[in-house]
Amino acid sequence: MVNVLLASLIDGLLIGFVYGIAAMGLSLIFGVMDVVNLAHGPIIALGMFGVYLLFSLLGLNPFIALILVAVMGLLFGLVMYMTAVHRVIDAPPLSSLLATFAVNMMIIGIGTSLFTTSSYNVEYSLGTVTAGPINVTGTRLAASLIALLVTAALYWFLYYTRTGKYIRAVANNRSSAELMGIPSTRILALSFGIGTMLAAIAGGLIATIFPINILAGGSYELKSFVIVVMGGLGNPLGALIGGLILGLMEGVVPVFMKTTWVPVLEFMLFIIILLVRPQGILGAKE
Amino acid sequence: MSVLEIRNVISGYDELQILWGVDMGIEEGQLTALVGSNGAGKTTLLRTIVGQLKPWQGQIIFQGQDVSTLPPYTKAEMGLIMVPEGRQLFTDMSVMENLEMGATPRRARAGASQRLEMIFELFPRLKERLSQKSGTMSGGEQQMLAVARGIMSDPVVLMIDELSLGLAPVLTLDLFQALRKLRREGITILLVEQNVRMALKVSDYAYVLAKGKVEMNGLSHEIEQDEAVRTTYLGI
Repeated sequence: MVNVLLASLIDGLLIGFVYGIAAMGLSLIFGVMDVVNLAHGPIIALGMFGVYLLFSLLGLNPFIALILVAVMGLLFGLVMYMTAVHRVIDAPPLSSLLATFAVNMMIIGIGTSLFTTSSYNVEYSLGTVTAGPINVTGTRLAASLIALLVTAALYWFLYYTRTGKYIRAVANNRSSAELMGIPSTRILALSFGIGTMLAAIAGGLIATIFPINILAGGSYELKSFVIVVMGGLGNPLGALIGGLILGLMEGVVPVFMKTTWVPVLEFMLFIIILLVRPQGILGAKE
Repeated sequence: MSVLEIRNVISGYDELQILWGVDMGIEEGQLTALVGSNGAGKTTLLRTIVGQLKPWQGQIIFQGQDVSTLPPYTKAEMGLIMVPEGRQLFTDMSVMENLEMGATPRRARAGASQRLEMIFELFPRLKERLSQKSGTMSGGEQQMLAVARGIMSDPVVLMIDELSLGLAPVLTLDLFQALRKLRREGITILLVEQNVRMALKVSDYAYVLAKGKVEMNGLSHEIEQDEAVRTTYLGI
């Protein structure tokens, strides 16, 4: 029993890192420009299919394919920002919700016509890593390590590079940033691109662990919302912690009850946090 | 020739016209004060000069170039820098990071370390607080940082909107001392200030704005002696 619990715990934590970066993408965009990206889930799905296609058609190693998927995720976000989001950036929130939802519908529509809604698998294995009583699949371990690396890279970028500091400055006070000579539109587009890049990377990593379909992004989008609100809106570190909590629950809850209880408990926790600590565990951005 | 020239500028917000044809000239190396009662249009004028508002009519000439419709970040690159009313710091970022953001314009990168030294001399208090989150400092310290951040941009013209608003008298004196030093360093300054007496004391030249127009302009010590100014703005 203890071994089963420990194994589930570790499995859950590992996937939690991946959930964390998916949520960071959503959180970064909201934190910088107060836009809730409703195309977040479909972009996660695009990341999944990106890795799937590069792997099954070109025979690329999924973790190498991930680099290309990341670049495409960034470009996708830049284009999406300039075409769909920038024109409503100063409009009431409903406008940007509708704009990103429109992109969501387009991706789902085109994706469904190309891939139908059937399930696909990235048939790739890295074997199993065994440490004492614990067995972990290699892909899951690799995915979580990459997620951790991406988190560290994002943190370094935001806090130790000039461009990263521009993003934080624009998030903090856009008109002031412009007065210093920071071209805010470019910075907003870049932030949006990094947000969608994180979503695409998360999708690509999930594809190495679970079967995928074009609608699968939806449930990860929902998870991202829960994680982001738990960790504190606009707080990347909070997103990581929220991701780990959700991953843990997903690992441990099925040991005691049916898997279908997982979302019920997740959303119960979500509501409790909203009631008790609405600013999130680490506190929201000011 | 003036380094910054405002020619018959008309501007406002949406449908609301605030400025009704303003003419001004800012001379290089001088400290120019812009005074007037609440609602006279001082902040609107600064926001129009810096590009946060587009002039409806008229021109803004900076170093001989028409910059009327350029966005704020382009003007900042050129050296037209504003310290906005209410400080508008990056409150989630450290003092040092705020100063770094000030040094964004390409022209400001080279001499950034010398300017940092100058700022530490001017405001020793900031040096002790480099890693503190700027939003957690007192109002006076925040105003010092706002001015310091402006200096980091290597301004050709530094526009300061309401230097002393909401500050204790002691801090106000400190900031005006700092302003005198900056003036001596040769930085061209346009100061909007609700404390008319202080503004006229510290400046070389002054404009009095009323109802969106320049009501009077001249050497500060002459404006200070003007009967109308004394009764309206100085309460004498």
